[in-house]
Amino acid sequence: MEVILLFVMVLGLLLIGVPIAVSLGLSSMIFLLAFSDTSLASVAQSLYQAMAGHYTLLAIPFFILASSFMSTGGVATRIVRFSIACVGHMHGGLAIAGVFACMIFAALSGSSPATVVAIGTIVIAAMKKVGYSKDFAAGVICNAGTLGILIPPSIVMVVYASATDVSVGRMFLAGVIPGLLAGTMLMLAIYIIARIKKLPKGEWAGWGEIWNSFKDAFWGLMLIVIIMVGIYGIPGITGAIFTPTEAAAVASVYAFFVASFIYRDMGPLRNSDERISLLRKPQAVVTAFFHKDTRATLFDAGKLTIMLMFIIANALILKHVLTDEQIPQQIANAMLSAGFGKIMFLVMVNVILLIGGQFMEPSGLIVIVAPLVFPIAIELGVDPIHLGIIMVVNMEIGMITPPVGLNLFVTSGVAGMPMMAVVRAAAPFLAILFVFLILITYVPIISTYLPTSLMGPEIITN
Amino acid sequence: ACDDGEMVIKFSHVTNTDKHPKGIAASLFMERVNAEMDGKVCVEVYPNSTLYNDDQVLEAMLQGDVQMAAPSLSKFETFTKIYRIFDLPFMFKNMDAVEEFQQSEVGQDMKEAMVRRGLLGLGFWHNGLKQFSANKPLVAPTDAAGLKFRVQPSDVLVAQMEALDASPQPMSFSEVYGALQTGVVDGQENTWSNIYGQKFFEVQDGITETNHGLLDYMVVTSVDWWEGLDADIREQLSTIMSEVTTERNAAIAEVDMENRQAVLDAGGVIRELDAEQRQAWVDVMKPVWAQFEGDVGADNIAAAQEINAKH
Amino acid sequence: MSLPDDSQGTALGRFFDSVEENLIAAILGVMTLITFANVVLRYVFNESLIWGLEVVLILFAWLVMLGISYGFKKTTHLGVDAVTNLLPSRGQRVAALLSAAACFAYAALLMKGAWDYWAPFAALQPTEGRWFPLGFTENTRDRAFYMTDQVPMLGILRWLEDAINYGDSYDKLPRVVPYFIIPFGSALILLRVVQASIRIIKGEQASLIVSHEAEEDVERVAAQNAQEE
Ligand code: NA
Ligand code: NA
Repeated sequence: MEVILLFVMVLGLLLIGVPIAVSLGLSSMIFLLAFSDTSLASVAQSLYQAMAGHYTLLAIPFFILASSFMSTGGVATRIVRFSIACVGHMHGGLAIAGVFACMIFAALSGSSPATVVAIGTIVIAAMKKVGYSKDFAAGVICNAGTLGILIPPSIVMVVYASATDVSVGRMFLAGVIPGLLAGTMLMLAIYIIARIKKLPKGEWAGWGEIWNSFKDAFWGLMLIVIIMVGIYGIPGITGAIFTPTEAAAVASVYAFFVASFIYRDMGPLRNSDERISLLRKPQAVVTAFFHKDTRATLFDAGKLTIMLMFIIANALILKHVLTDEQIPQQIANAMLSAGFGKIMFLVMVNVILLIGGQFMEPSGLIVIVAPLVFPIAIELGVDPIHLGIIMVVNMEIGMITPPVGLNLFVTSGVAGMPMMAVVRAAAPFLAILFVFLILITYVPIISTYLPTSLMGPEIITN
Repeated sequence: ACDDGEMVIKFSHVTNTDKHPKGIAASLFMERVNAEMDGKVCVEVYPNSTLYNDDQVLEAMLQGDVQMAAPSLSKFETFTKIYRIFDLPFMFKNMDAVEEFQQSEVGQDMKEAMVRRGLLGLGFWHNGLKQFSANKPLVAPTDAAGLKFRVQPSDVLVAQMEALDASPQPMSFSEVYGALQTGVVDGQENTWSNIYGQKFFEVQDGITETNHGLLDYMVVTSVDWWEGLDADIREQLSTIMSEVTTERNAAIAEVDMENRQAVLDAGGVIRELDAEQRQAWVDVMKPVWAQFEGDVGADNIAAAQEINAKH
Repeated sequence: MSLPDDSQGTALGRFFDSVEENLIAAILGVMTLITFANVVLRYVFNESLIWGLEVVLILFAWLVMLGISYGFKKTTHLGVDAVTNLLPSRGQRVAALLSAAACFAYAALLMKGAWDYWAPFAALQPTEGRWFPLGFTENTRDRAFYMTDQVPMLGILRWLEDAINYGDSYDKLPRVVPYFIIPFGSALILLRVVQASIRIIKGEQASLIVSHEAEEDVERVAAQNAQEE
């Protein structure tokens, strides 16, 4: 079948070191030119419309920007302090605090690598200082960072919702319980390892420190409230205020505001270690928007957006070519006539995603795989929200497995370790994620309970 | 899938294939062509915006990458403003009036209004008349004042909402249910089949049966492609298209009523207006006509009203 | 994931870097502000900028299409180097050259597609031929009349009406304007890919993907840590 040729071409190009986006795009163009009548102009159209025609994907730059402002602006530091105050005194306390901090940051940020960068830079160094091995520290953070895409908001969920037309708000709700569960499983595992290996525990700093660190982190934590209330409203008081995409933009503006005017860890009101009062420098209200820190944060977020969207856009070109050749129907018909049941289907989805996740960046992979498996899932009566969460958990695993693993890349950078060392360090915790994946796959209610009870069952309107 | 040697016609649309009036009509067209013109021509339907959405599909058609599509009439704004007549509030009393107007000489000429820009209309496909819904009861037009309504981004519909002192909000169709549910917007306007199909009634206080506007589609093709076809193939396609159009359009009133009933059966609230209440909506919204008279032609409005008077 | 400074060092190179970087930052900033403004307008004032969403989506496309070429210039695009790293250095060089050829083919095909797509909107002719441009077509119907849905027409662009639209006035911004980024961005991509390929041929650059750089980052951080300890 010609489509096998297409995927072999993608893989071949990937393996000789062609950028992922180009591997996808070039294979699609060659396939299109060789096997159909559709013009090259349609490829250019798809590339442009990947951005201009996908309202949902617009959340990606905004969630990335919000994360950038929060890491540059000192929100992450304060979250770590609060986490240490809460759980630092337990066995393996600093490691548990690291996971806890990743969970909190994940509730503010839509991306896993961003979570690793924000929390990892602080926690890994701190863990080494009190006597943990660097491997252990890196392994913990590399894994806990993957929660960034499971705990809402999440870029990968946004991409899934965009590819399948399910509601972003519902997907976000669906991630809450699985996210808390995965985080708890990780913390529990650390606690057990800590008891066995006699890992260091911190001092109990008292309720006062919890209160003080909470107060200090308050403005950062408020963002969780703003996002949740904004998207879902408060029953009886206000309806929702914005769509999930707008929520991301509001989060960016809020994070910019907190970083520049409240924490003053960046922007015109910071003078090395000194914090200048706005009253003494009122012009900062205007200059903050043009300050070099603001510009640098915007640029960093822009660069990351471009890197991700280049891949997603080319994945969309590949998807367009597959649709143009009616491949999804053929695959769906083949699978349905083979008589697969629900369980067998879900196992296959997991296998496809786990293999694909080795080579692909998560969002790009979802763009390609979701349209292939979604119609079959609906036909077999799989809940579309459940399917989405399964995909997200698979993507988490893909992020910490070589050769392409975004979290591995950034952890190796943040911890100053060779990539293969991070792979080995992350492996024991990877086992936990696998157990978690099995749990999520076979117990759909973990994912569907919250969205169904709060918003009613998902309807397929197509 | 098509056989080798058959000419492939790609028909791209944005709805399902078996429940939505447009999807049903497209599927019927496909079945008939594939049966009656087997070996010569083969239609492939790409539903659910999988290939193109309504905006991109017209570009792709002019480019030669897709041959048929059926966007709603308000999507052709950039090709001709004459279709604005179908968006004007209270222009047609019921679907019979719409049908008669479209079948009249004035209506049939409108299929060729875009020829100089490369598109040819093959037929009008009905969806039905639009109703208002909101998260509070709408009885008098003043009830809509201050509310946020999702509308298709067309000048007429924006002007219509402004006439009601409501705030028009552009929003992609797939997002409307969530936005109504959470309260990002307060209301929307749509036909019975869309209100039922998209389950909007679940997340609205009720639907007010205003029948204030029309949602219709135009099946279009590229002039250059169409004129390049063999005359006999073109003729046979035309015949099948017009038979499918007649058949499905004749069924639309029934489909509409089924969907209306389905809304009721599912627990939705429908508010009917008496003549006086309805007149209040007409009084507020009809002045919008004057604003667009230049675009659609006073004589066309007169022709439509003459037909209206008969129904 | 900070980047080593590999600007070519010339003043002109630094100037273009800063133009591109400022544009990327500015576009993202404006996208955020317009979206935020629309939320405030809707929730507080019951109003909306009816063109807001469409403009933000256009800016999103501009951001990415401008940025892709910057990514090739600075080697920030993601790829797989696990296999090439196993090769002997000669093999690595062959792989890098092949991969440069693939990127060139991609950029060249994209350039043709981009021109063919955009040209009719500018009342220009697309190219003949399916894979390679074999001259220009002669009688493609133009699409200069094609306007955006809601973006207002800008006064300073009124000259377009006479230039490409037979004097017909535009009541919305014509699509030729936002779509301009498609051929422009593609041309920049082609340029940066050619430049990167030349660096690879000369042996000044090892590959077209980011992962090597991550290793350098690691080495640099590791060296710093070693000093600290
Ligand atoms: Na998150
Ligand atoms: Na991986």
